[in-house]
Parts: sequence; C-alpha cells; structure tokens
Amino acid sequence: MDDDPSPAPGPSAEGTNVEGESPQIEPTVETEEATITDDAELERTLGLSGGLAIGIGTMIGAGIFVFPGLAAGNAGPAASVSFAIGAVVALLVALPASELATAMPKSGGGYYFISRGLGTLAGTVVGLSLWFGLVFATAFYLVGFGYYAVDTLAELGIAVGAELVIPIALLFGAGFTVLNVTGTENAAKLQNGVVALLLSILIVFLGYGGLDAAGLLGEPTAPERFAPAGIFPVFTTAALVFTSYLGFAQVATVAGEMRDPGRNLPLAMVGSVLIVGVLYVVTIFVATSAFGSEQLEQFGETAMVEVGRHYLGPIGAFAIVFGGLLATMSSANASVLSTSRAIYAVSRDALLPRRASRINLRYGTPHVALGLAGGPILVLTATGRVQLLAEVASFLHLIMYGLICVALIALRRDEPEWYDPDFRVPGYPVVPALGALCSVALIGFMQRESLYVGVGIMLLTVGWYLYYARDVELKGAL
Amino acid sequence: MTRILVPLAILEGGSVSAGLTELLEPMNVTVLGYHVLPEQTPPDQARLQYEERATDALEDLATEFGAEDGTADYRLVFTHDRKQTFDRVAEATDSPVYAIPGATGPIDRILVALTGDVAVERIVSFVAELIGDHEIGVTLFLATDEEATGRELLETSARALAGNEIDVRTELAVDQPPLEALAAAAVDHDAIVMGERAPSLRTLVFGEEAERVAAESVGPVLVVRHREDDADREDPASTEER
Repeated sequence: MDDDPSPAPGPSAEGTNVEGESPQIEPTVETEEATITDDAELERTLGLSGGLAIGIGTMIGAGIFVFPGLAAGNAGPAASVSFAIGAVVALLVALPASELATAMPKSGGGYYFISRGLGTLAGTVVGLSLWFGLVFATAFYLVGFGYYAVDTLAELGIAVGAELVIPIALLFGAGFTVLNVTGTENAAKLQNGVVALLLSILIVFLGYGGLDAAGLLGEPTAPERFAPAGIFPVFTTAALVFTSYLGFAQVATVAGEMRDPGRNLPLAMVGSVLIVGVLYVVTIFVATSAFGSEQLEQFGETAMVEVGRHYLGPIGAFAIVFGGLLATMSSANASVLSTSRAIYAVSRDALLPRRASRINLRYGTPHVALGLAGGPILVLTATGRVQLLAEVASFLHLIMYGLICVALIALRRDEPEWYDPDFRVPGYPVVPALGALCSVALIGFMQRESLYVGVGIMLLTVGWYLYYARDVELKGAL
Repeated sequence: MTRILVPLAILEGGSVSAGLTELLEPMNVTVLGYHVLPEQTPPDQARLQYEERATDALEDLATEFGAEDGTADYRLVFTHDRKQTFDRVAEATDSPVYAIPGATGPIDRILVALTGDVAVERIVSFVAELIGDHEIGVTLFLATDEEATGRELLETSARALAGNEIDVRTELAVDQPPLEALAAAAVDHDAIVMGERAPSLRTLVFGEEAERVAAESVGPVLVVRHREDDADREDPASTEER
C-alpha cells in the first residue's frame, strides 16, 4: 500500500493482473444528473421510484411469496420476529451502505466500497462473492417462480405434479438470460409498474387479512403458542429468511445511474428495507393467524396461496398466485441486472479478464457478463434446493455486509481527501459496528451445509486473487 | 449568438446533411453525440468500449460546423434516456434551439411554423438570426381556427422579417388538422423551424410533435425550445388544437 500523501482525488489504481491488464480508472466529476469524465458524460437516469422498484422488486418475491410456509414451520408464529430481526440487521447495514454509496456513487455497489476502503484482497473476495451470491439468489427466486407456475396451472385446472417445478424454473431462467441479452426494450418502466401492482395487491390482501386475523371481522381464531419450538429456531429462521432482504444492496450496484445520488440512494435503500420489513412481519402474522404453523409448513413454498384462499376465497388464491408469479419474476430479473453490473465492476478493475465486460455489438448488451450470470444460475436452479440456495446467497451477502460496515469504519477513522459523503450514518460508530457484528452473528445460525458451500466459494475467490490479481492495487483509487 | 444543439445518435450512423451544415455553420453549434443503452448495460461500460470511436467521429463533425472558428464544440453522452439527456445538455450549454438533422440538399427556402407553445417573437427573431446573409426565403405558416387573428399574427411577423431583407411568404391553414396541414405545407421547403410544445399528456402519448413532423417531412427540423415564461402565451396559435 502506498502511504505517500498524494493529491486528491486519491492515489490512482496501479499494478496489473496476470494478463497484464490494469484497472481502468479515470478521474470523474459527479453531478446530480451525470457523471462527467474527460471526454464523455454518463447520464444518471434512475429516479427514487426506480431505485425503490429495484430494491422492493428484488426483495418482495422471496419474503412474502416463498418463505412464509418454511419460516412458520421452523419457528411458528414467532417467525414474524425472525423477519423483524432480519429487517433490523438489514437496516444496520443499509445505513452504512448508504453513506458509502453517496461517497462513491458508482456501478458495483458493495464491491466498490470494499475494494476502495479495504484493498484488493477484500475487494476480490467480495466482488466475486457478490457475483456468486446474486447467482444463488437468482436461482432461489427461479425455483420459487417454478412453484408458483405449477400452482397457477393448478388454479387453472391443469394439475401437474411438483416434478415440473424445476423444468419450468430452468426454462424461464434460460428465457430471462436470452431476453436480457437480446432485449433492448426498456423493462425498467415495466418493473416500476409490476412493483406498484404487487404493492397494491398486498396492501389490500394484508389489510383485509390483518383485520380478520385481529378478530375485527369474522370469528377470532384461537392462537397457538407464539414460539412453539423455543427461541433458537427464531434465530435460525432469521438467518434463513435473510435472503428476503438482499435487495437493498442491489440498489447500490446501480448507484452510478441514480439521479441525485446524495438524496435518492439512502432513501431508496433504507426505504425499501422499511417497506418490505413491515410487509413481511404483517404477512407472517396474517398467515399464522389463518393456519397453524404445521399446516403452513405442509403447504410449502406456495403456502400463501392457501392463506389467500382462506381469507378471500378463490379470488384471494388467484391474486396471490398471480402476485407470486410477478414477484418471483421481478426478483429474478432485477438480480440478473445487478449481477451483470457486479461482474462489470470487477472486470473494470482487472480482477476478471476484460473480456467479461464486452458489449455485444448487435444488441448493445453485456452478453459475456449476462452469460456468466445465466449459466451458473441454471446449474444451481437444477439442484432445486430452496433452503440451501437461499442460505448460501445470504451467507455471501452477509460477508459483504459485514465488510461494508468495516470499510466504513476504516474510512471514517482516517478520512481520505476524496471521502465526502452527502449522507452520514447516524449513531457512528455504534451502528456500523453493530451492523458488522449482527451480519457475522446471523451467519452463525445457518445450517452447516450452507456454511461449507459459502466458505468454499470464498476460499476459491481468495485462490483467484492469489493467482490472478495479486499485483492489482485498488485501495483508495477512485 | 444563439446556440443550437445538434443531437446525433453517433454510433448508429447519425450524420448531418451538407445543407444543414452550411445553414448552421455561422451559428454557435454544440454537437451532442449520444448513445442510448439498454438498461442491462451500465453507461460506464459502454464508454470504455466506444468512447474513442465516438470522439473521433464527433471531432470531425464539430470541425464541419466550424470548431476551428470557435463557433462549434461537441459533447458525448452515454444514457438510458434520450430525452433527459437532450434537456440536460440543452440547459447546460444554454441552447434555446435544437435540431433534428434530416436529409436535405442546399437550402433555398424554409418553412417557419408559428405553432407550439413558444412565444412567436422568439421564433421570428431566431429565424432572422439564422437566415443572416444566406440567400434563403422564408414561408411563415400558421394553422388556426380563428382566421382574422391568425392572419394578423402572420402579417406582423412577416413585416418583422421583411425588415431584414428576407423574402417572406405567408401561408394560413384554417380549420385543418394542424399537423397534416404543416406536413402538406412542408413540401417544396428544405427545412422547418418550429416551436416546441409544452410537455403534456398528449406529447407523452403520441411523442414529440417536432419528431413526428421530422418523420413526415424527412428534412431537418429546428425546434425552438419551450421556456417556462412561454407558458401563458395568449394568441390564436395556442388554441389551434384541443
């Protein structure tokens, strides 16, 4: 590390990777509406609603439409506490991440903050883990989508067995990848609409179900014990369902395209966590009020469909099935977009071959990066292991979250000249320290198998660093 | 001198016809080279790959518009949203006019439509400046429902231009669909000058009026941008369409 005092905006990146490529870093001027480089300007086109749509759109699919059955089976009605714990941890990280994002509003999100704050090794591990984490998450969303697709067919009177879940998920996974490579339609506006529609469906449904469950409509239900399996499962469930809070970091991966980043990034990240957190807790309350947790567990991934049927009859079931299809699709789509940005950010810094960020001349899309996302996604989807996919995705993200908090503390302790965030974390240093601790603690409650897979992937990324990018110097390079 | 923004899809073979270059050469021109990306592609990623090629092309274009005399420059923008980029760069460069570069040969006569939500005086004074020493005739065009006031507006504007020794004709379309009438009048003209519409639901649904005119007429269209203080324009032209 170069400790010489150097002129703002900080020492430039140095060194080359094994192929002799060096990081492509140019001085930029950030304004509210564009990033200005020497010869070109990059328009910032995402507004607050676009940012919220990415955050909420990514998260809502999992928490509401896939997890309630599994979570209630593990922890009983106390699963709503698990979701609340997840929301608190997510908030503790979203606040530091917001500060870093306003200081470095660039593509790549968490990877970018950590490589600049903690150096190349941590950057490589996080950058590649973010890629794999998103791949695991997307596979998880796709499997969820498969379950909803089968249920949709069932609602339409076409009974197909659960053995079609994976083939359908694979088909759509491949379809998404191809559409993302060839599709030049602007799906962002569609995403906004989908999220707005989903939120309306949920608010109507949860509003009605909540009133009913609270005993204001119909007959009050006899409550079962709040935490039938004790306290410990509440925490293991929190670790499992944390996958439903990964979306706020996806907002940071598009930080380079966000208008007025100093205002919109913190609002989008913190706002999306708050909104989905409340919805999740209410959802579990409504679901466990409708059915006992054992029964919910039997319903499995699509338990919410039965909950919908319980409160609103066939219309409720249909609304939930339809919502589930939309939500898991929008989660998968938003994640694929973030994955290609994560890969781009890493390859720009010469931690992956530059080829990985080539843009297709015909479609103008980053086909290599999208392929690097889509291929592994399909392999993982084929395993169909919902819990494992979710936990490994959470594991890899939680490592990043912990390091984001550490990077914030490292940067704040010795603020470089270029470090000038528009948003500063309230309650420093308690909030980032707690964020780091909680992230690590949550990992401790995961299944052993997920830990092995997660640690294995991290060791691979360390190996890649030693082989490929040992001589690349990124710390402080903006 | 008025600055004109010339947006060009620089990597998609966007080019400027000789006639338009000649017309704009004496004016201040900013060539806005833009490249619209699908949302899958971060703008920065596209910049790495295309910046050099685009800059080369833009430098040549700016030279044609008179970069060497200091009257032309260029900007290169990678964006997801074309309209947002146009508006931002037009503000940043202080350009009250932008051009939709169509295809045309030498320009002998231009059609000036006193439509849109832009004050007529702004359109007329821009035209006077644009014509300058060129040997170019002007046809003033207005589509309206109120014949008398419309004719009066045309006469006043024509007098203002004739004072600058410009060959002026007028053409009034009464009770006709304005866009169709404008497109019909554009035949026999080599370029169009028109006022921009204030953003409204209609432009959102049907697209920019100027772009539809450009598509109809093939030739270049110069659009005088709408300003906030144009909003309360009270003349027949603003009531021509409902």
